[in-house]
Amino acid sequence: MYRLRFHGRGGQGIKTAGRILGTAFFRAGFEVQDAPRYGAERRGAPIFAYVRAARRPIGERGIIRRPDLVAVADDTLVTIPAAGVLAGVAPHTVLLLSSSTPAEVWRERLQLPGLLLTLPLGEVWEAAAVRFLGATLAGAAARLVGVIPREALVEAIAEELAHLGPSLTTENQVRALAAFDLLAEHAGCVSEGPEPSAAAYEPPRWVELAPEGADLAAPAIHLPATSEAVPTGLWRVVRPLVDRSRCRRCAWICSTLCPDGTISVDGDGFPVIDYQHCKGCLVCAASCPARAIRVVPERQAARVG
Amino acid sequence: MRDKKPSFPKPLPSTHLLGTGTPMCAGCGGLQVLHEIYDLLGPKTVFVNAAGCLTLLAVYPFTPFRGGWLYTAMAAAPAGAQGVRDALDILVRQGRLPPEENLEVVALTGDGAAYGMGLSATSSAIERGLDFLYLCYDNEGYGNTGQQYSEATPHAARTATSGGPRGFMGYKKDLFAIWAAHRPAYAATVAGAEMLDLARKAEKAKSLRGPRLILALAPCPTGWDFDPQDTVEIGRLAVKTGIWPLKEYVDGRVVHTKIPRPRLPVEEYLKRQGRFAHLFEPVRQEELLKEIQAQVDAYWARVES
Ligand SMILES: Cc1ncc(C[n+]2csc(CCOP(=O)(O)OP(=O)(O)O)c2C)c(N)n1
Ligand code: SF4
Ligand code: SF4
Ligand code: SF4
Repeated sequence: MYRLRFHGRGGQGIKTAGRILGTAFFRAGFEVQDAPRYGAERRGAPIFAYVRAARRPIGERGIIRRPDLVAVADDTLVTIPAAGVLAGVAPHTVLLLSSSTPAEVWRERLQLPGLLLTLPLGEVWEAAAVRFLGATLAGAAARLVGVIPREALVEAIAEELAHLGPSLTTENQVRALAAFDLLAEHAGCVSEGPEPSAAAYEPPRWVELAPEGADLAAPAIHLPATSEAVPTGLWRVVRPLVDRSRCRRCAWICSTLCPDGTISVDGDGFPVIDYQHCKGCLVCAASCPARAIRVVPERQAARVG
Repeated sequence: MRDKKPSFPKPLPSTHLLGTGTPMCAGCGGLQVLHEIYDLLGPKTVFVNAAGCLTLLAVYPFTPFRGGWLYTAMAAAPAGAQGVRDALDILVRQGRLPPEENLEVVALTGDGAAYGMGLSATSSAIERGLDFLYLCYDNEGYGNTGQQYSEATPHAARTATSGGPRGFMGYKKDLFAIWAAHRPAYAATVAGAEMLDLARKAEKAKSLRGPRLILALAPCPTGWDFDPQDTVEIGRLAVKTGIWPLKEYVDGRVVHTKIPRPRLPVEEYLKRQGRFAHLFEPVRQEELLKEIQAQVDAYWARVES
């Protein structure tokens, strides 16, 4: 059985990638299971989708813990433990990163035992590239498993993206096939991992909890704004930076319009962005009448501190 | 500098009540209006939240609220609000809650609940004269479950369940008129992008007792298919093209609070959103565009006559 996982952020076409690959497998004669991880499937938030494919009925359920292929739409997720990109990566696991950083650099950084490949797809925050990311990753993954013919991929995209209309469907097919062709030399590098044996099953580690009174055990929250413990700043791929020389200190515009309320105003009337929580939507930059909010890629911003 | 802020009705707050770190999509228009309105209502507010995107705000142990929040079934927020209101009234009457600690009860729901499933409960709550504020964030579909159509979906929009070449065949229900027909204490439409108009209406609603509605247009990057940074621009275009009239019902009269002059062609609003892309590509659907424009024109002809 093939066990594949796609990682990305909400809005990057991860669910679509899973569906296209699943349908392509199906058209190639496989039994298939494909599903996005259901949860807070929000724009910008780390998400994943998975695909199982086998020549016989699939009895396995749940998320994939031992992937044969991990395909990643957004390389900023690799270093975020909560995104779980590297979870369960084994020596046979192939890691495919959409990244403009060369594969050698990633190999050096991650020191993984298995094959690591990159797809230089351009920057993921460019809307034009994001539109086709799902299909592109599906095309790449189809080639790496090596058992999906071109036609199955093309038909799967037509089926899954019909709602987008003919011109976008064709564009998606073109991008997917380009990735498919680009990876020709790695065709079939993904192998079906060993079947887990019942004997090797590791039960979850139970935590013994002593019984508590209802006032403690009931899920009531007694503190205000506990959500601030959640670092949604990790969702960000671009960072808004206030240019104080241009800012007119009108303050209430960006601070009121930021959907997340992450902009406060300091004693001098300048806006201060809370990067622990700013999701990088760029509503502030788009709404500032003085154009005083610059946008830099998060990777670059993190480097300059 | 700070006293230069436009003060209508008073300076807009520059620190925010709603906590950060919520799981809403980057650029969420619903979150934007909630955070703007919460600042004006203040911490003595209890939210009764019907199932929808914003129920994920408070997932144990995290909440962005400073006070109470209660989850109800999709159709039951006004009934939940009745229970909370009654309980508060009893506590005050029995002297167990000092009157100054009394709370404003806010029913918080999406359009699926407000225009459809919960309408019967709303109608009877207004009829009973329940003292509550109903805040509907209208993202024109069932956002939380993947943007299926709701009774607030506009004509011709593509949704997960309206995928044909003409999009959604129905017409958006006029919830404001339905509320006004009940003769409530107050009803208003707002947009997060028009924050001064919104602030004035939120203050007005807060100063009144009885059933009150704030119906907020909530541009939804995920469901409407646009770049998150355009949330404010899309909201402004909705107002400038006249497709989302800003108005209020008070003392038995409907008053428009912002009459767009000149009115931009409604196309300017539609073409910015993927959910209307099929009106322009692969061929321009002239008839549908004309029909949508004619409806907007007819609305304003009635208003201005
Ligand atoms: C009676 C009932 N039917 C279906 C659902 C599943 N459900 C949860 S949220 C949701 C969508 C709600 O749409 P809306 O009120 O517009 O809010 P939004 O999700 O757009 O924020 C649905 C259908 C439910 N919770 N209850
Ligand atoms: S909106 Fe622009 S000019 Fe105004 S305070 Fe914010 S950054 Fe400064
Ligand atoms: S990008 Fe700007 S508007 Fe968006 S969350 Fe960050 S600070 Fe707020
Ligand atoms: S789907 Fe739309 S309404 Fe729901 S959280 Fe995302 S942007 Fe907000």
